[in-house]
Amino acid sequence: MTATFPNDEIRAKAQHYRLNAAEYELITKLLGHPPQGIEWALFSALWSEHCSYKSSKVHLRKFSYRNASVLESEGENAGVVDLGQGERIAFKMESHNHPSFIEPYQGAATGVGGILRDIFTMGARPIGLADFLCFGSPRADRMKSLVAGVVSGISGYGNCVGVPTVTGQTEFDAGYDQNILVNAMAVGLFREKDPMALSKAKGPGNWVVYVGAKTGKDGVHGASMASESFDESSDAKKPNVQIGDPFYEKLLIEACLEILEKNLVVAMQDMGAAGLTSSSFEMSSKGGVGMRMDLSEVPLRDASLTPEEILLSESQERMLLVCEPARFNEIQAVMSRWGLEAKKIGEIQAERRVTLLWRNEVLCDIDPDLLVENAPKHERPYQPWSSPRRQADPTPAVLKNTPLGVVFQQLVKDHRLGSKEWIYRQYDQRVGLRTARDARQSVAFLRLPDSGRGLAMAVGCRPSLMRMDARIGAFDAVFYPALQMALKGARALAVTDCLNFGNPEKPEIMTEFVTSVEAIAEAARLMDAPVISGNVSFYNETLGRGIPPTPATGLVGLRESVSRIPWDEFTEAGQVVYCLSSPLVRTFHRTAEVLGAEPAFSGDFSAEKAAMFVRSCRELASKDFFAGSKAVGAGGLAFTLARMTEQGHGFEAGEALSAMTTAELLEERLYEALVAVPAEKTADFEKAAGDFSNFLRCVKMGRTGGDKLDFGGGRAFSVKQLHGWREGAWTQAFGEM
Amino acid sequence: MKIGVTRFPGTNCDHDIWSFVEARGHQPRWLWHQDRFNPREIDAVLVPGGFSYGDYLRCGALAAKSPVMNDVRALAAAGKPVLGICNGFQILCESGLLPGVLVRNKSRRFIDEWAELQVEQPNPHFGRGHQTGARLRLPIAHGEGCFLTTAEEMKRLRGEGQIWLKYVNNPNGSLEDIAGVTNDKRNVAGLMPHPERALYDWMGGLDGGDFL
Amino acid sequence: MKFGVKIMPREVILDTQGRAVEQTLKGQSFRLDSCRVGKFVEIDVPAATEAEGRDMVKKMADFVLYNPLIEVYEIQRLG
Repeated sequence: MTATFPNDEIRAKAQHYRLNAAEYELITKLLGHPPQGIEWALFSALWSEHCSYKSSKVHLRKFSYRNASVLESEGENAGVVDLGQGERIAFKMESHNHPSFIEPYQGAATGVGGILRDIFTMGARPIGLADFLCFGSPRADRMKSLVAGVVSGISGYGNCVGVPTVTGQTEFDAGYDQNILVNAMAVGLFREKDPMALSKAKGPGNWVVYVGAKTGKDGVHGASMASESFDESSDAKKPNVQIGDPFYEKLLIEACLEILEKNLVVAMQDMGAAGLTSSSFEMSSKGGVGMRMDLSEVPLRDASLTPEEILLSESQERMLLVCEPARFNEIQAVMSRWGLEAKKIGEIQAERRVTLLWRNEVLCDIDPDLLVENAPKHERPYQPWSSPRRQADPTPAVLKNTPLGVVFQQLVKDHRLGSKEWIYRQYDQRVGLRTARDARQSVAFLRLPDSGRGLAMAVGCRPSLMRMDARIGAFDAVFYPALQMALKGARALAVTDCLNFGNPEKPEIMTEFVTSVEAIAEAARLMDAPVISGNVSFYNETLGRGIPPTPATGLVGLRESVSRIPWDEFTEAGQVVYCLSSPLVRTFHRTAEVLGAEPAFSGDFSAEKAAMFVRSCRELASKDFFAGSKAVGAGGLAFTLARMTEQGHGFEAGEALSAMTTAELLEERLYEALVAVPAEKTADFEKAAGDFSNFLRCVKMGRTGGDKLDFGGGRAFSVKQLHGWREGAWTQAFGEM
Repeated sequence: MKIGVTRFPGTNCDHDIWSFVEARGHQPRWLWHQDRFNPREIDAVLVPGGFSYGDYLRCGALAAKSPVMNDVRALAAAGKPVLGICNGFQILCESGLLPGVLVRNKSRRFIDEWAELQVEQPNPHFGRGHQTGARLRLPIAHGEGCFLTTAEEMKRLRGEGQIWLKYVNNPNGSLEDIAGVTNDKRNVAGLMPHPERALYDWMGGLDGGDFL
Repeated sequence: MKFGVKIMPREVILDTQGRAVEQTLKGQSFRLDSCRVGKFVEIDVPAATEAEGRDMVKKMADFVLYNPLIEVYEIQRLG
């Protein structure tokens, strides 16, 4: 039976609060009365897609695989992984897509601020940031200013707060013209002896303390806005923009880490989406306790704020914490030393009810589980995945019987494959003294200060593969970064994700979503790298047009040391270059798109074989054979070789490569990797590779040297010229920004 | 040596400088912005980089007026060495301990890269073994590193040998490619590049070690 | 004809610079109730009348000088 509203007045009210008739009925049933007063706003915020995950929750359970090194996952601010040797890390990825489209600088900046708070809330010191950005075509309306704004927002916030941005990925496709993606990942480090702070409120009689910036009108109703598609009225929503202050955040980081280290805190959570509402209700619900809180005590920047605005404000750089009353003075002392305020605004109560007061009047008295645990869980319709772009021969017609020269030049000069140096130059990549490999390499490495081991960071998801096939693309979102790490001798440990999709009420979108979740979950299980934190961003659609499915991933990995990490590039003449491969599927995705053809593939993707290939590559890499290594990505062998010559050392093809056609050189096969082995190690390497012949093929491709990239058969390019083209691609597309 | 390391709200290279000092065999000591210290108990002061006071108003301006800077000034007046790195350089300029001012990069953007430097005038305190004309490679990471001063002062800096380091390829529009300067007595020095970020092979370079 | 454009953060928007400057001044025992930090732009336009000049400057302010999301401005005649 379809639910209906009792009358038009309630319908209008529900619409204002973005609740549908079924939800209205459910709320009435749970409360035992129709929602009244502030209850509307509470349900609106906490039952929004953004806070409740109502369309995704039933599928996110599929990320249930765990291993012994996972210390925290579900329900906490971030996932925590034990690295052994007394070191552990917290990490998470989150989206800030909608706010960044409205105001790119502040949207991206507050995205970075929010993800950092999720990390240090747990007691971990943030040590690295990564970003995953999808923009539209450079010619699209506002796109140049969106790119410039987002990049300077990330740079402005991350640099100031003193956390290096060490890796990332930037994609361009017209599918993001009206809905860019800004996903940020943060990694924090703590030691075994450091207390881990959780968000479970505990201890009746304990105080609820407000810490950080005063509350203003920033982002009121932001959480429900993020759960909505863009329409033409978005302009009118501008006053919601939140302002980030990285300087204040830096003070908050130092102060919070200090009170956590001194064990003064029972529980702590950032006031993120839906601000004080979500933090207070979630902390109560998770801890199985209640909270009595006086909103008149909340420090305000603007005295005219109503209780509803106080509850929903998304002012930045604020935390809610629970402490024993006896600890409050010490907390206050630490805060004031850092120039911050701590204020008691309530107490924990044994009865599981959140009681909100305003000027001595009870605004509401409600079981937190009703809002947190009993939020609707939708089983939205979807279909099993069928691969519409599977073909007998995926080769685009334009590549058949074509000389390499012209198409190769086209690829190298395309901004989608071009250098992203314009972006990375704006990020401080070395503050903190841990960076061993920065964003200019395919995998970033941070040196862990106690053990000297290398913490690897990489992001994944290739949207062009997703556009070709959501199942293969989602597998690849784990396998590709895991392979990149493996080639540097690092083992992927755990995964975080940021699942960016269109409107889940559309079955075709839900099909892509479910397919992606299942593929990522399987890949993570096969790599023994559990998915332990993340975020879902639905309704990435404007005027009915959704974005390409984009399940971004962030991987962390571990390497025994930071010395002799193989470079992406050739570093010396005379090295022998091999191709390691495990041919699963033949694809043309990025190449096809750049050449104006449709992405297509042939063959069957085997996740088991992909996992074995990745493992085998890591085994070989850990034996210190590789001076250079790189996964073959966009533009196939030809383009990957071009990237490997970027330090100025050329390459000369051997027999196998010389015999390849243009199409074979540009085909983006899953999976292949190029490795450069110093001449004196080749015999040992070939023997070792032979031991893995069940899982990979190893073929000699050529030798480094000279100043040309020579594919054989008269197909040679000056390395300097290639590099110049690739460097110039950005300016070609964006002009002087 | 007992080396004081200043900490202002927003300083973010403080721990980096602390470990730099330790790695070079000295004893670091925090100098908190609101506290005073006895200049006689400290042998030298390092002013680390970061974004003191969020770079608000002008880079380094608010930090330069902090109580702790009174004692840094006294320590410098006593001839003891003071080194400002990046934002620390900006603070020393704003506090009048060093000549000139650092303004927005010519590109108007933040720049992170490895920069090649040339030693113009070796500094007796920071940069052991540096010789005039020596080349160094250090990371830079700043949005406001463009050194400016009046023509008159520039003349004096040249005359007195206060130009310490120059960029080989000027990244930020600095006057005469200046990357680091000293005061007339050479005991106070400032540079935009980060020596503490080039101490080990895995960092990508070793040229920073000589600075301390 | 010279005009000044005073650009200030909107009242409801957090003024991060003002907050930092205010705290520093208060921390050094200066007496003040509040402090806000904005920008000032001077523009010289070839206008025949003040009304025309103001209109020209207003167009420039609306075009690029301020961000209506976070700022307000006011035009002053300078001479």
